[in-house]
Amino acid sequence: MTNTLLSLNEATRTVNSGSNKVTLLDNIDLQVKEGEFISLMGPSGSGKSTLLNCIGMLDSFTGGGYTFLGEPVHSMKERNRSKLYKEYIGFVFQAYHLIDELNVWENIETPLLYKNVKSSERKALVADMLDRFSIVGKKDLFPQQLSGGQQQLVGIARALIGRPKLILADEPTGNLNSKQSTEIMELFSQLNKEGVTIIQATHSEKNASYGSRIINLLDGKVVS
Amino acid sequence: MISTHFKIGIRNVLKNKGFFILNAGGLIIGLTSVILISLWVHSELSFNKELTNYNTIASVMQNRTFAGEIETNIGQAMQLAPELRSQYESHFKHIVTATRRNDYEITYNKNIVVVDGRFAEPGLTHLLDLKMIKGSKDALLDISSVLISESTSKSIFGDRDPIGKTLKLNSSLEMKVAGVYKDLPENSNFKKLNFIAPWERLKTSQNYEGRLGWGNRWFQVFVQLNEGSTLGSVSGLIKNVVKTNNSKDPGNPELFLFPISKWHLYSEFENGISTGGKVESVKIFSIIGIFILLLACINFINLTTANALKRGKEVGVRKTLGSTRKQLIFQFFTESFLLILFSFCIALALAFILLPQFNTITLKDVSVPFDTWPFWLASLSLIVITAVLSSLYPSVYLSSFRPVKALKGVNDNNKSPLVLRKTLIVTQFVISSVLIIGTLTIVSQINHVKDRPIGFDKDLLVSVPINNDKVLQSFESIQNELLASIHIDQVTASDVKVTSTYTTNGGFDWNGKDPNFEEEFYTIRATLGFGEMIDWEILEGRDFSQEFASDSLAFLVNETAVKYMNLENPIGEFINWGGDENYKIIGVVKDMVTLSPFDPIVPTLYVLHQGDYLNYINIKIASNTDNVEAAMNTIESVFHKYNPENLFTYTFLDDEYQENFIAEKRTAKLVGIFSIVAIFISCLGVLGLSIYMAVQRKKEIGIRKVLGASVKSIWQLLSKQFIVLVIISLLIAMPIGYYLSSQWLLEYSYRIDINFWIFALAGGITIGITIVTVSFQAIKAAIANPVDSLKTE
Repeated sequence: MTNTLLSLNEATRTVNSGSNKVTLLDNIDLQVKEGEFISLMGPSGSGKSTLLNCIGMLDSFTGGGYTFLGEPVHSMKERNRSKLYKEYIGFVFQAYHLIDELNVWENIETPLLYKNVKSSERKALVADMLDRFSIVGKKDLFPQQLSGGQQQLVGIARALIGRPKLILADEPTGNLNSKQSTEIMELFSQLNKEGVTIIQATHSEKNASYGSRIINLLDGKVVS
Repeated sequence: MISTHFKIGIRNVLKNKGFFILNAGGLIIGLTSVILISLWVHSELSFNKELTNYNTIASVMQNRTFAGEIETNIGQAMQLAPELRSQYESHFKHIVTATRRNDYEITYNKNIVVVDGRFAEPGLTHLLDLKMIKGSKDALLDISSVLISESTSKSIFGDRDPIGKTLKLNSSLEMKVAGVYKDLPENSNFKKLNFIAPWERLKTSQNYEGRLGWGNRWFQVFVQLNEGSTLGSVSGLIKNVVKTNNSKDPGNPELFLFPISKWHLYSEFENGISTGGKVESVKIFSIIGIFILLLACINFINLTTANALKRGKEVGVRKTLGSTRKQLIFQFFTESFLLILFSFCIALALAFILLPQFNTITLKDVSVPFDTWPFWLASLSLIVITAVLSSLYPSVYLSSFRPVKALKGVNDNNKSPLVLRKTLIVTQFVISSVLIIGTLTIVSQINHVKDRPIGFDKDLLVSVPINNDKVLQSFESIQNELLASIHIDQVTASDVKVTSTYTTNGGFDWNGKDPNFEEEFYTIRATLGFGEMIDWEILEGRDFSQEFASDSLAFLVNETAVKYMNLENPIGEFINWGGDENYKIIGVVKDMVTLSPFDPIVPTLYVLHQGDYLNYINIKIASNTDNVEAAMNTIESVFHKYNPENLFTYTFLDDEYQENFIAEKRTAKLVGIFSIVAIFISCLGVLGLSIYMAVQRKKEIGIRKVLGASVKSIWQLLSKQFIVLVIISLLIAMPIGYYLSSQWLLEYSYRIDINFWIFALAGGITIGITIVTVSFQAIKAAIANPVDSLKTE
């Protein structure tokens, strides 16, 4: 299990704010191997979220190289890029970002729809997932009828349904109380043991300690 | 996937009911109007098309030039058809002389019904391709026979067999029913052709052969062209037929063929050139229909993009879950499409319900053709066009959000949609304001013409038609008996109703007339006392009088005639009529409106007359009577006594005069209704946008209130920008409205000048409605407790 999942080579992200050029990420070098559980730490504005978004291909680096599973993401077209992340990456958000108009079952099912999975297979996969997270009884509820912890559980289930190689979690417990946080972090470690690579951004040292490696960011630079 | 889109769509509707009502409401009202207008336009455009020989039927028309103006008429002499037959037979399948449309009384077993029908040559039955229910098309060859329509047969005979029964026409001609034909199409010029009687019969019974020449253009000639003959070439061939046969005919008569496809929509001629007619209304309402559809689509775009903030998060999530932009566009488009489909169904039902009312305004009998495929094809096109116009942009716009930003809830980084929304609002108000200006112009033009001084007193004037010679001969007895009643002031007879003259004459000569001047005068023949009865105003000279026996060879002329003849001292001048009779001008009458009040006054000659040609008995009911009913009873009983065979019919000239306004009033009503629809849809748009703005500025409003802003200042803050938009719209709308209104007014010679107040009023209405609409939301936002709005942040 030493395959390299992704590597960043002097990856940079700048934005223009008025006439000023602001550097959000500054020459980042990073290698992530399959099966790692990485915690990104740093104060607000240090670039954690930007880095996650760029790795997740929702945003793109403005300079440097980004290779994912041996493929050069930086020179890819939008269409291929979205194919790539659709296939291999799952997202978990601080604010859960469930679709309010869809119930639990439908929320979890959505990524499969975009992968054109057949109906019978979708049913089986979603049922498995509900089962695994013990939320079968909640499958017909809508997000606003769930507690924060439950919503995040659904969010994780949704991220996992497409069997991604990499999960990107941006402060996944930021809106949760400590008991719910612990549960979610336990779940992440469990998933990691099953072979899923995880990169999480967090403020909490306690949460960071679940990871196998901690990367500290400050002002867009890796400091350790 | 579609089922998910459907689900999301429905749940969104349930979640945002208000938004849905605004959005669907605008669409439904818009689509209903469009459906109604389209049905009407379609019916107008397909007029006469149900007739089998639509492509080959034409009528022969005639251009004649008088005083430099070409006049176009449909009336033809009875000699024309035989002449065409003998010279140009090979070009025509049928050439048919027929009488003009007219009402006749048909008597059977003492029951009288009044129906519309014609005397015509037998070819008409083939030209119209009559579908015979009973009897043969060729039965008219027997000149004692008559063909009747199915509905007429029903109304006279019920279910009994009409064949062989004898009918009496206008209580004089007896004819045997020889056939029954299916009623001609409702949407055609022949819908009221309820009987066809042999032309030969009329000709012999009225002794036309000896009496009528080329100058008596009393009839119509219909033709059906042979295959291979074209309208243009045949028109060219027959152009000079009248001139060749009657070289003395004034006005340089030229014939041409006028195809059936133009009869309905292009019936107006000006100086010999077809200038349109009903087609103008078709154009106006087609444009209005397109505008209303546009308004509804704009509404949809505005509301959907304004709602984007709410949908933005979903776009972000879906994109991170792997949705491509195409899939999102498809999703939003599907949602919109479903909403539009839903609105269309409701609109169709509404149109179906409103159609009877709409028909009473348009005086048509339009129905929804549910059972024809073109209707469904047109409906589908309407849905697709609406969907593309209204949801393409919002779908593309919504799907364009960058996921990272959308998830953070900021998507108004580019200002374009707001600018676009404002542009769309301006467009909406330009359209509505133009329609309001149009409505006000039409209404004030109608009022202006209504207030036009007509030069005589039409109140309490009744005209009773003289149906037969017996009545004509007993005129004096009738007059005396009527005058004996206290309810009746005066009784005269005339050849035309003074509110609708139609008799014109030529062949006049006077001192100083340019020999090349081809003149045409309207003439009114009446018995003594006619002028006094209608209370005309004599400007110079005197009225006809019993004391002057010479008054039988005298004219009273109107002011316009004096100018027309260019006479400086008209009184005492002589006018020669027809070569041998010299008429002396004894008086000048103030101009009277004897045609449509929208038209200019025509040069008119008044002649004292007795006997033949008199068609109406005019009765002035005593102005001091409060019992018009008693007066009418007296009149009816007198007429019944002298004319027991005929139905008693009459017209109040005041009513007849009001009929001049029917077409314009209808246009005013329809344009008015659609202006209201337009304004309403625009207001929905403004309401939607103001709700959006209030939501967006909730926090700002909260902070301002905490800092001490009054409700009024916040109301001003929120309303100001809309008022600015409306003012911009008005500035754009005014020149457009001015241009279109003056174009419309050009049709009328007696017309208003477009006044400043029309624009002021239109502006006032638009601004007023906008302020009310915006305030509704602005005040709600302004009185909200700031603690609540700040807490939710």
